[in-house]
Amino acid sequence: MSIVINIWINEERLAKLQKVGLADLAEEQLAGLKVLKVPCTEEQCEKVLKVFPTAKYDSATTKSIELLPREVKDKIFDKVVEKGSLDAMADFLKDY
Amino acid sequence: MSTIGHGGKELVERIMAPEEAARAIKGLTPVPIRGQIAREIIDLAYGFFTPLEGFMTRADVDRVCREMRLANGVLWPIPIVFDLSDQEISEKGIKEGEKILLTYQDKPMAILEVEEIYTYDKQEMALKVYGTTEEKHPGVARTYKYKDKFLGGKITLVNPPKINPPFGEFFFTPKQLRQKFAEKGWQRIVAHQTRNVPHTGHEWLMKGSWLQAHGELPVEKTLTGVLVNAIIGEKRKGDYIDEAIVLCHDVLRKAGYFREDVHLTSITLWDMRYAGPKEAVFHAILRTNLGLTHHMFGRDHAGVGTYYDPYDAHRIFDQIPESDLRIKPVRVLAWWYCPICAEVTYSGLCGHKAQSQNFSGTLIRSIIQDGVKPPRLIFRPEVFDLIMESAEKYGFGSAFVNDKYLAERNPVFTLPEMKG
Repeated sequence: MSIVINIWINEERLAKLQKVGLADLAEEQLAGLKVLKVPCTEEQCEKVLKVFPTAKYDSATTKSIELLPREVKDKIFDKVVEKGSLDAMADFLKDY
Repeated sequence: MSTIGHGGKELVERIMAPEEAARAIKGLTPVPIRGQIAREIIDLAYGFFTPLEGFMTRADVDRVCREMRLANGVLWPIPIVFDLSDQEISEKGIKEGEKILLTYQDKPMAILEVEEIYTYDKQEMALKVYGTTEEKHPGVARTYKYKDKFLGGKITLVNPPKINPPFGEFFFTPKQLRQKFAEKGWQRIVAHQTRNVPHTGHEWLMKGSWLQAHGELPVEKTLTGVLVNAIIGEKRKGDYIDEAIVLCHDVLRKAGYFREDVHLTSITLWDMRYAGPKEAVFHAILRTNLGLTHHMFGRDHAGVGTYYDPYDAHRIFDQIPESDLRIKPVRVLAWWYCPICAEVTYSGLCGHKAQSQNFSGTLIRSIIQDGVKPPRLIFRPEVFDLIMESAEKYGFGSAFVNDKYLAERNPVFTLPEMKG
């Protein structure tokens, strides 16, 4: 299973996705939640954990990077919207 | 009510009466201690760590590391030690055979009878207990931080702590808890170890374990209970605040997800070592002393990173003779959300693995941090609301530990002024 960053879709994020016609990028998870599953390579995962020390890679259960600050996720989200694709981590990490 | 604890020994209680304590501490050299040691003194004095009566001597530590047993042969997996620097020992003139007064919050707390002052190879200790010497393992890091020397000997509490709100109603000594079980008529009690706010995966772990523990007993009366035993210790930034953990577990009963007569919330003061399987054994011993008959162990119990296989904490019990533990491990797999079954269901029963969706406490924390309210099938609304309330009341606006909480939170316990 590949590593992902889960960006959970709150009302603000949903409005942005709908505005640019990208609402279909979000998957339904856990009984009705919407989430963008942004893939990360192992190298990207390592860099994210190094740059954002509060983040945690949940290797045991979900294989996802969790506990990134909300504003960081907002930036990744904006990158996804800008590119129109979930494949956004390389671009996002260029700034770090 | 039985008062026999781990190792078949009578529950330890080492608390001095106030008048005697006031006399006994006169003239003793005061030695300030940190939070971890203060919490462990409370555990030792009230019998949570029965049969230990104090901090371990070298013979105990050595056999614990090598064989997972105390020097007297009783099963024990993690060293309980008190450390001081050479400088502190020299400045205070501490010598074997003398008594010293351990102080916390600038108040007298306990007398230590210094039986032995010794060294132990910390790398060896880390390797034997945690299976690694890597400092990024939090238990190893804690071991490496121990100062130059260890002081072994019996402790006696001279100033019982006041457990502050909202924790006071959840703190029971092993004897008090056993009394509580007797009043409830519980014959079997299963432990749910936690340091998390509960999601429905936790709720179902508890319910499933209750069913396993209840087994063949009659059903007309409530003879089996679930004890939530929250571990309260050193916090790290990003953890849920302690108040939210305890109150949110308790609200599961108050909101009716558990019946009043089957569920009880409690706390134990302990700094997690993340020792995986060895910590599982330690938790089993701790809950034996609390009077429990069963202990639930889920996936990756007390683990960290990838140091342990997710089910090492189950398998370690295969190596322990039944006569060494007075509590039965209840081994469980994960509960997951299945969109086909449209429910949170047991992974050992559900046949839709490909469609299953795992969730963890960490994942739920991320959902909440993203400003999203999880659905009630995943996270009870009463729990969500109480997290928000706790954030305002106890967390300076945050449900998660931050610098302000670490610096300014109301302490879990306070030592009162001593009279006399």
